[in-house]
Amino acid sequence: MNNIMIGRFVPGESLIHRLDPRTKMIGTFIYIFVMLWANNWQTYLWSAVFVVGLIKFTGQPFKLYWDGLKPIFWLILFTVILQLLFTPGSPVLWHLGPLSVTVPGVVNAIYVMVRFVLIILMSTILTLTTPPTSIANAIESLLGPLKKIKVPVAELALMLSIALRFVPLLMDETQKIMNAQKSRGMSFSTGGPIKRAKAIIPLLIPLFVGALQRALDLANAMEVRGFKDAVQRTRYRILHYDRNDYIAFFTIVFFVIIFFGIKIVTGF
Amino acid sequence: MTKAIKINNLKYSYDSDQNLFDDFNLDIETGEWVALVGHNGSGKSTLAKLILGLIAATGGTISVFDDILSPETVYRIREQIGMVFQNPDNQFVGATVADDVAFGLENKQVASIEMPRLIEEALTIVDMQAFKDREPHMLSGGQKQRVALASVLALKPKIIILDEATAMLDPAGRQMVMATLTSLRERFGKALTLITITHDMDEAALADRVVVINDGQLILDGTPHQVFSQQTMLRDSGLELPFSGELASQLHNHPEKYLDERELIQWLSDLSK
Repeated sequence: MNNIMIGRFVPGESLIHRLDPRTKMIGTFIYIFVMLWANNWQTYLWSAVFVVGLIKFTGQPFKLYWDGLKPIFWLILFTVILQLLFTPGSPVLWHLGPLSVTVPGVVNAIYVMVRFVLIILMSTILTLTTPPTSIANAIESLLGPLKKIKVPVAELALMLSIALRFVPLLMDETQKIMNAQKSRGMSFSTGGPIKRAKAIIPLLIPLFVGALQRALDLANAMEVRGFKDAVQRTRYRILHYDRNDYIAFFTIVFFVIIFFGIKIVTGF
Repeated sequence: MTKAIKINNLKYSYDSDQNLFDDFNLDIETGEWVALVGHNGSGKSTLAKLILGLIAATGGTISVFDDILSPETVYRIREQIGMVFQNPDNQFVGATVADDVAFGLENKQVASIEMPRLIEEALTIVDMQAFKDREPHMLSGGQKQRVALASVLALKPKIIILDEATAMLDPAGRQMVMATLTSLRERFGKALTLITITHDMDEAALADRVVVINDGQLILDGTPHQVFSQQTMLRDSGLELPFSGELASQLHNHPEKYLDERELIQWLSDLSK
């Protein structure tokens, strides 16, 4: 299960690792929001250069990011093919019935692909350099104002961080159950769709039972360690912005200014 | 001297027609290391949950340092007791070792600036300080349980209960945890009451006192030597002897009573004289 890279944190000492998680989240959102306004090769190129620069700064090998792209490869391919076949316009390069490949279609397909890749890369930078608990802390802090309208932000953040912590465990467990059943002759990859769907049931039942057992054990462990509710607690990790965060915000603003600068120069 | 734990006429049942505990009594002295042994379903883990107020007894009283367990006192009592559970994976809350140790401190509302020092201190006791920033699921079983112990130690409890904490570990991990327990004993002495719930007799042999429970009944209570000398009673409740006892009982000409490993070696070498 090591091939799933979405949401996996890799410890490190880079400048980006040390940023406040809120900075990284806000930065990621701003980047994605602005990048969706890109509409020509110059703006896409600038967006790509920016992301590659950030990746350099994380000090992680590019291969990790490539692994992050793999799980959504089919989704990208599917979208690209749709763009390729269904974008009207001229000149038409090839057509068959209602399907046609046009030059704007090819251009669009490439843009959509780049857009996908950049969004995934940018979010991978966030998840790769930020521990799940920090992300949960950041969400708690950023959603803080919602406490005023009685949204249980602290509980939600704790639930989120525990859920994130159990993801690798449940994946390992799924693999174990699959292996146990394969060893007794179960096949998950042969037969028609109905047979395969049925094969999932004996996998899900022990997985659910196991997950409930874990939940009960964890609830006991939390209570024994004095957990009452998520509100009356202090924090080990205190979030605070420092010089690097201001530099990071400045960098994002720099990206946005150049981005719209390019758009204005290239005539929108 | 006040008793660390005093259990009087305890009653508990999972279903209404069958009582698991019926008038169960047990006193645990301050600073004792007690091993609660019994086969699966004997009620030993249920007892731990009752002491911590995780489940409610149907009758009788449990007091911890003269504080009678009730919905009002349960949080105060839990502050005195730390517990390590059987499955090392199901008791981690934090994403890293340090975060996990911090969880209990956060609940206790310890100031944030104090935490790094307390975490470092607790991890040093179990010799896991080098793993502070690791993710718990990347550790071995024995390491995980030592971190779980550190999480408990950070809260400075007076009583630590280990509920089958070595049952899911490999022999090396088990050795590691037992060595840690022995070192805790040396470090804290009478300031720490240890209760190990186990069906591993070699682990029980480390304790000062062994209490055997079968079907909710206390059937044997004494020093390891006294308890392990009652071979037939132990076997009747589905238990074995520690390694030295098993070995001795296989000998053609065997010693009269239970000997621990060092004594058995002495006894064997005396034979050859």
